[in-house]
Amino acid sequence: MNINDCKILICDDSILARKQIKDIIVTLGTPTILEASDGQSAIDLYKAEKPNLVFLDIVMPKKDGNIAIEEIMAFDKDAIIIIVSSVGTQSQLKCALEAGATDFIQKPFSKEHIIEALHKYIG
Amino acid sequence: MYNQFFGNYLFSKGYVTKEQLIPALIRQDNELVRVSTLALYSGYMSPSEIENITTLQLKNEKKFSELAMENGFLTQDQILELLDIDCPSFLKLGQILIDDGIFTHEQFSNILADYRSQNEFLELELNEDNKDDIQCLIDNFSMLSDTAFSPFSKAYLELLYNNFIRFIGDDFTALPPDLCTEFPTECCVKQAIHGNYEINTYVSMEESVALAFAERYTGESYLDYDEYVKASIEDFINLHNGLFIVNASNDHSNELTIGTLESINNSLITFDKEAYHFPVYYPFGIVHFVIEIVKIVEPTIIL
Repeated sequence: MNINDCKILICDDSILARKQIKDIIVTLGTPTILEASDGQSAIDLYKAEKPNLVFLDIVMPKKDGNIAIEEIMAFDKDAIIIIVSSVGTQSQLKCALEAGATDFIQKPFSKEHIIEALHKYIG
Repeated sequence: MYNQFFGNYLFSKGYVTKEQLIPALIRQDNELVRVSTLALYSGYMSPSEIENITTLQLKNEKKFSELAMENGFLTQDQILELLDIDCPSFLKLGQILIDDGIFTHEQFSNILADYRSQNEFLELELNEDNKDDIQCLIDNFSMLSDTAFSPFSKAYLELLYNNFIRFIGDDFTALPPDLCTEFPTECCVKQAIHGNYEINTYVSMEESVALAFAERYTGESYLDYDEYVKASIEDFINLHNGLFIVNASNDHSNELTIGTLESINNSLITFDKEAYHFPVYYPFGIVHFVIEIVKIVEPTIIL
């Protein structure tokens, strides 16, 4: 799939983290980028826009990332959700994978981590 | 200390599938690490030597350690040392994956070497003078309070100063901590850590200091205290606490969680519990870090 035809949802309560991910994505092309700052907004945006890829934080207000994964997966079992979080512990990794996360990037992330994920899941 | 949990590394690198990893994570807490894996981790035996002894074990009922000694691969002192080792919890995950036949000892040895070289960071990467000062400061913290000091507090502080070096710069002086019952905040963010090591953490600084702090953290310039400057302070404390709980999980199977971030600007915080103020002096101003000790439960060490 051409990245320019994609919709990518970035959900993180940090405006800085959203900007950092967005800045990396736009070096590869001009996809439609959607942003959410809490779990509930991510679920709502996913249902409305059905993006091709989601970058999702875990610790967030109004539903955390793991609840957001469950609700998104219940809506679309083929959703591609990449966790980008600072809390990659044994229990959080297990919860995220059980909920249906596709991949897990530990913060602090590098440009290469995000680009590698984009190549892997979008092409 | 590591930048990421071992299981996350294995999964993101494609060494294990989700179907292999999830059951292993569930079993991890109850797993015991074998002498063979400890010998591999410590560099006392090579993968091929371990495979040789494992093959010999199939032919008789002797223990791995006995056969390793008989064949000259390990001494008795080395075995005692291995049994006494402060084994990081992530080795348990490796042990499960070896036992399940997902990795050979050779594969695990190579993966472990890559993981350590790519993710391990040295403690207090400072010049020698500064390193000694900070180590002394951390050691002296134990004299301030018996209740507040624990191996987790030591690890927390070492990581904190490391993260100041990594994300802001090493040109700081860590001033001695002081016990405080209240603290007047400026541009301040709070985050709680929950679990066996339960603390409230605060980072606070003047607005002008916040601009310089954010510029160093992001590499961008800021003219005013805007949402990006605020987010830089939030991101720093979130990243630091996140890395701390990842290391608690990776090394000690201590599963902690962190709370959402809270801004407490220009207020006077009164602490219910013991709280310690750690000032960090940079050329651009002082960054104040405060830790309020809510509850510490020492880990149970199973030998």
